Amino acid sequence: MTDKPEKLIDKKGLRLDGRKPDELRPIKIEVGVISNADGSAYIEQGKNKVLAGIYGPREVHPKHLALPDRMVLKCRYHMAPFSVQERKSPAPSRREIELSKVIRESLEPAIFVEYYPRTMVDIFVEVLQADGGTRCASITAAALALADAGIPMRDIVVACAAGKAGDTIVLDLMDEEDKYGTADVPVALMPNLNAVTLLQMDGILSYDEFESAVNLAIEGCKKIYAMQKEAIRSKYASAKEEGEE
Amino acid sequence: MASKSSGHKKGHLVSPGDRLGVIEEFTPDVGTYVKNGVIYSEIIGKSLFDLAQKRVSVHPKLRGIKVPKIGSTVIGQVSSVQTQNANVRIFNVDKKDLSGIFTAVLHVSDVQMRFVDSMFDVCKPGDILRARVISEKNRTYHLTTKDKDLGVIYAFCSNCGYMLEPRRYMMHCARCGRTEKRKTAFDYGKRPT
Repeated sequence: MTDKPEKLIDKKGLRLDGRKPDELRPIKIEVGVISNADGSAYIEQGKNKVLAGIYGPREVHPKHLALPDRMVLKCRYHMAPFSVQERKSPAPSRREIELSKVIRESLEPAIFVEYYPRTMVDIFVEVLQADGGTRCASITAAALALADAGIPMRDIVVACAAGKAGDTIVLDLMDEEDKYGTADVPVALMPNLNAVTLLQMDGILSYDEFESAVNLAIEGCKKIYAMQKEAIRSKYASAKEEGEE
Repeated sequence: MASKSSGHKKGHLVSPGDRLGVIEEFTPDVGTYVKNGVIYSEIIGKSLFDLAQKRVSVHPKLRGIKVPKIGSTVIGQVSSVQTQNANVRIFNVDKKDLSGIFTAVLHVSDVQMRFVDSMFDVCKPGDILRARVISEKNRTYHLTTKDKDLGVIYAFCSNCGYMLEPRRYMMHCARCGRTEKRKTAFDYGKRPT
């Protein structure tokens, strides 16, 4: 386990890993990495490594869970036992069950759920390495995987966190800032519609700090959104259309 | 956004949420949706602006998702047979393999135009058949094989499991010599899918 650092922000105003307060971690996104899945995406955000896979739409099992007018979304967020410093039990923990729900509910508003009634879509999110902000990385990856699966969506959801480390409002918290910082505000956004689909906060922030944290997170979301689009472009720009030309 | 020349204009790669125009300039077509008078793309694909008809659509870059619908041709495996019904697990819809399965029912009255006495003369568990969806009433897909391209495309001997060969009106097992009845498609055993 990492010990509590003396200061989260140094004299020059830089963070533990040398980032400026409003700087994102380096991000690498890839689309279509699992050949057996209908859609998939992989994201590396700093030391986070998250893999998302989509299966479906397919028949709902057990059948009584099917809804007559809409598609059922099922989400499983799971952390690999080796994703953290201390081995994590592979059984889904309370936190993972909650995050599964949070991820599903932040993606649901984007999906045209009524297009495929009586079906189910499975979202599998596997955290291979965790370093703070995995819920945001998971949402970013899962949204791309949904788009890759061809599921009609209003927008691609993108998520990013902001928070307070020391006395500064910072973007994209990493593990130490999350643990020893004052507050964490994850935000998920549909950038084209300018609609927030997830907004959480834990910690203590004043009203003004909260507002600037949300605005900072939204700015971060927009930067990640550009990277999501770039990832889509790099997979699909060369691919030929189905049945044309 | 749109150029003034007539005819089609091939757009570029768009992803869900990309703005394509407003409803005053185009009629939204497949792959798009409208919110507050603005047309957005709902899938990853290539935008297509039909300037003559003033239509905008998005053509999927990947093969779109397939779910059985009324009229779609499906391929499935027979999972169980009763005298009146056969249950089929669909794994292919309109030539696209699914990642899961959909279950459907084939009733004797939908097998052929003429009267069919028993479902056991149509298919057996394990057979692969091609059928068309005729209804999705009561939350179940109902199939028909009333066409010459529909019916069993792979049948297996219920005695030894060897693939059956068509011989006149019956199916014959080359390994154990058994003869069975099936409702076969005209291309029985010829096509890979």
